Amino acid sequence: MSGYRFDRVRVLVVDDNVHMRKLVTTILQAFGVLQITEAESGERAWTALRETNPDVVVLDWVMEGMSGLDLIQMIRTNPQAPNPFVPVIMLTGHTSLDHVRQARDAGVNEFIAKPVSVKTMMSRLVSVIEHPRPYVRTGVYFGPCRRRRVDDFNGPERRTEKPKQAAE
Amino acid sequence: MARKQPIELFMPPNMLKAKVGGGSSGPDMAAIKRAEAAMEELKSEFSDWIAQDVQKLTAARARYAATPDAEARAHLLRGAHDIKGQAPTYNYPLIARVAASLSRMIGELPPTFALPLNLIDAHVTAIQVIHKNAMRDANDKTAQALCVELDARVNEVLAAAGK
Repeated sequence: MSGYRFDRVRVLVVDDNVHMRKLVTTILQAFGVLQITEAESGERAWTALRETNPDVVVLDWVMEGMSGLDLIQMIRTNPQAPNPFVPVIMLTGHTSLDHVRQARDAGVNEFIAKPVSVKTMMSRLVSVIEHPRPYVRTGVYFGPCRRRRVDDFNGPERRTEKPKQAAE
Repeated sequence: MARKQPIELFMPPNMLKAKVGGGSSGPDMAAIKRAEAAMEELKSEFSDWIAQDVQKLTAARARYAATPDAEARAHLLRGAHDIKGQAPTYNYPLIARVAASLSRMIGELPPTFALPLNLIDAHVTAIQVIHKNAMRDANDKTAQALCVELDARVNEVLAAAGK
């Protein structure tokens, strides 16, 4: 038994699908997380983020209006963000390498490919707790170090390259 | 080669670890068991959830058929994408497969190309039939043949668009 005090953690769950929010919050509550805020859009999440200053954000990629990637970029770079280092776990139905790269470049810490499972959720939580990545700041990027990227970059210095614009 | 911009690499304080403590021996198995039990209880709601998602997709199809604009197209894509991601959780793997095919077509076809309504209908109808008949067996031969056919048609549409 790991003995994590999940009851001390504030989690923001962002998904425009009410069923997915219920699924994720049910799992988190069973883990012992007591402080869960739900947001059904990126816009609502941005407000909730500043009101609750969560310790972890669980975020869907595809949402009407502000997408998950847009929200992450705001979290990492907007001066009004309460904590630009907050770990972000992205839920996604996209599993292609290109999509993973886009999300990684936007500043995602961990991924959960749908369908969501209990073990995967625990694994990603443990990962952001136990294995946080260093952060990188350049003129065009701020976020977790992207060294786990699997592409073979041939430029002179990867971290000075502006991330490719996200597309859904 | 000389760097053009300064790069700052640093490790912020691990505030999350400071809050939750513990964790020296991996995942919390007791918490996992509790969550799996909670998921079992939640399963009683899954049939309503998939019914609602299929209904939403059907409405999105009707909206696109009436007004095939970018907003209706995005709405349809989101409906298909949601089902693709969630149907496996609801134990409808075949619905997920058909929704993935529909999602791929809408997502990969350039916006300048109109979506073929007959192929959208074929997908939506397949999803409705699988749901109505509660076909949960991913190995169902008839359903598999239908999925292969839908995939082939989508490939044709995408190839014609240069994708």
